[in-house]
Amino acid sequence: MIINKTADGNKMTIALEGRLDTSTAPELQELVAGLEGVTDLTFDLEKLMYISSAGLRVLMIAKKGIKEVSIININEDIKEIFDITGFSTIFNIQ
Amino acid sequence: MKKIRSNMAVNIISGIVVVFIVVICISGYVGYQSFTQVLSDQYAETAYRTADTALGVIDGSKLDEYLATGGKGEEYETSRANMEELCNRQNAMFIYVIRPDADYSHITFVYNTVNRNSGFDAYKVGYVKDTTNDEYKEIYRRIYEEGLERATVVRDKGFIESGSHITELVPVKDGEKVTGILCVQRQMEALTSARQKYVNDVALALLGPILAVIVLYGVYLHRRLIKPVKTITREAERFARENSDPPQTLSSQITHQDEIGVLARSIDRMTAETLKYMENLTEATAVREKIATQLEVATAIQQNSLPQKFPAFPDRKEFDVYASMTPALEVGGDFYNFFLIDDNHLAMVIADVSDKGIGAALFMMVSNILIHNRALMGGKPSEVLEFVNNQLCAHNETSMFVTVWLGIMEISTGEIIASNAGHEYPIIKQGDGKFELYNDGKHGVMLGIMEGMKFTDYTFKLEKGGALYLYTDGVAEAEDTDHNQFGIDRTIEVLNKQPDATPKEIVNNIKNAIHDFVKDAPQFDDTTMLCVKRTGDLP
Repeated sequence: MIINKTADGNKMTIALEGRLDTSTAPELQELVAGLEGVTDLTFDLEKLMYISSAGLRVLMIAKKGIKEVSIININEDIKEIFDITGFSTIFNIQ
Repeated sequence: MKKIRSNMAVNIISGIVVVFIVVICISGYVGYQSFTQVLSDQYAETAYRTADTALGVIDGSKLDEYLATGGKGEEYETSRANMEELCNRQNAMFIYVIRPDADYSHITFVYNTVNRNSGFDAYKVGYVKDTTNDEYKEIYRRIYEEGLERATVVRDKGFIESGSHITELVPVKDGEKVTGILCVQRQMEALTSARQKYVNDVALALLGPILAVIVLYGVYLHRRLIKPVKTITREAERFARENSDPPQTLSSQITHQDEIGVLARSIDRMTAETLKYMENLTEATAVREKIATQLEVATAIQQNSLPQKFPAFPDRKEFDVYASMTPALEVGGDFYNFFLIDDNHLAMVIADVSDKGIGAALFMMVSNILIHNRALMGGKPSEVLEFVNNQLCAHNETSMFVTVWLGIMEISTGEIIASNAGHEYPIIKQGDGKFELYNDGKHGVMLGIMEGMKFTDYTFKLEKGGALYLYTDGVAEAEDTDHNQFGIDRTIEVLNKQPDATPKEIVNNIKNAIHDFVKDAPQFDDTTMLCVKRTGDLP
């Protein structure tokens, strides 16, 4: 999986590419846990192909720690997973 | 092993013997050469002096005349007698004067005197003979054409008619003109015999020390190499057999500081380390066995927490239910459950904890009990899920969560009220129709993530003959060795091969289909299914 982050003051965008599953989630978790001073976090999921429950858990951890978390460019497959898991109801999806 | 050891000693000693033989040969050859050189020089010098003296008794200008007359006359006779006298006195073999022909291939004798002890007869004056060999021929030429004043020929190798000898050749002159060649031949028996003796003496003198060195070295080798190696081998074999501390360490038996000593100490250390390792391994194995036993107990407890007796409700003819859970590890995070809330209401649960292993299993136990107990207290599925979610969130430090589908069926009507917290869509067959994926709308989020979440209920009706198939993602995401997934479409396809089968047959059909699909690929996710079929109305 490829993680691209771009920061702008206290705003940050993390673009995810590939598969966010049990083997790649810890990398993202480490990154999210180390974000200090970020109050507005956006996940760009345009190129995310798959997300497992371990991946959803990391998104959840991010949401608990950061004031504003939003999702952009969500694709059909990931949207379906978000719908099934109910993540659509708790995340701000644009 | 014995053969290898013996060979090692033999090889080393053979090597030494070869080295000694080479040394003897080289020193013998060098000695032989210098011995020959010194003696030959001495012989040559003596022969040259004889030749020089002999030149004094002949008149170089008269050679033609002597040949013409065939050596008649008093002058020739006197000179010949003097030469013979000189030959005997100086202990030369032959003294002779020759004249080679134009191409030096024949020689004509002018004088020929023979030592009286030789047993040879002298050639007559004018006797013509082939030149003995090319070496003589070349010397003759150089004496005549290049003014060579002295030449020496040594013949001591191979077969020689007159024995090993040395010949000195000097020109006979008339003024500056060479008129013949005077040759003095001396035998070299003394040289060859002395030389032979020298070689024999050297060989004999070296043989003793060589034998002594070989024997001493053999003994030394045995003590310093063969015996310690045998000791080490015995200990290594004993250790391999007994796996115990040695009765006596190798380093106490082999105290040398050489490589063998180092080897002995290394093996001692290896023995000690191996024993220590074996001890640790035994302990670790014991610990592992204990954990395995505890895991078995955990597996049993978890399995027993789910209803496993089928048929589950043998006296209820209105519905039939069957379920199975196959964990990927010893204990799983998936679970199913079904139970009667009252005579007319059946609760059905299928759930999937986000993790695997012991932690997930404990979380699953808690979730299952909370859902079960809260559902028994009455209320809609959404209320049950809301309650359970808050309970789980209150004490959830591990950020685990669980997807839950909970439905309550009114048995008399087939009316089902359900709520979905992040779980897969159910698959439903209506009446005589086919199994189809049932999109149950907007799901609530999984339980354990966030406190205070609201869940929504929805209702649908199961007609007589209708069935509800619930599953976890282990079914659709079962993978073969090429990472192809079993998939939801294939699941529905398999269900529809026998849409009217009993719940038990339906669950087993899917199980077998997955088994055939993944073949030998290891599965990393739990696989759980629950199937309920409405077989009739209340009697």
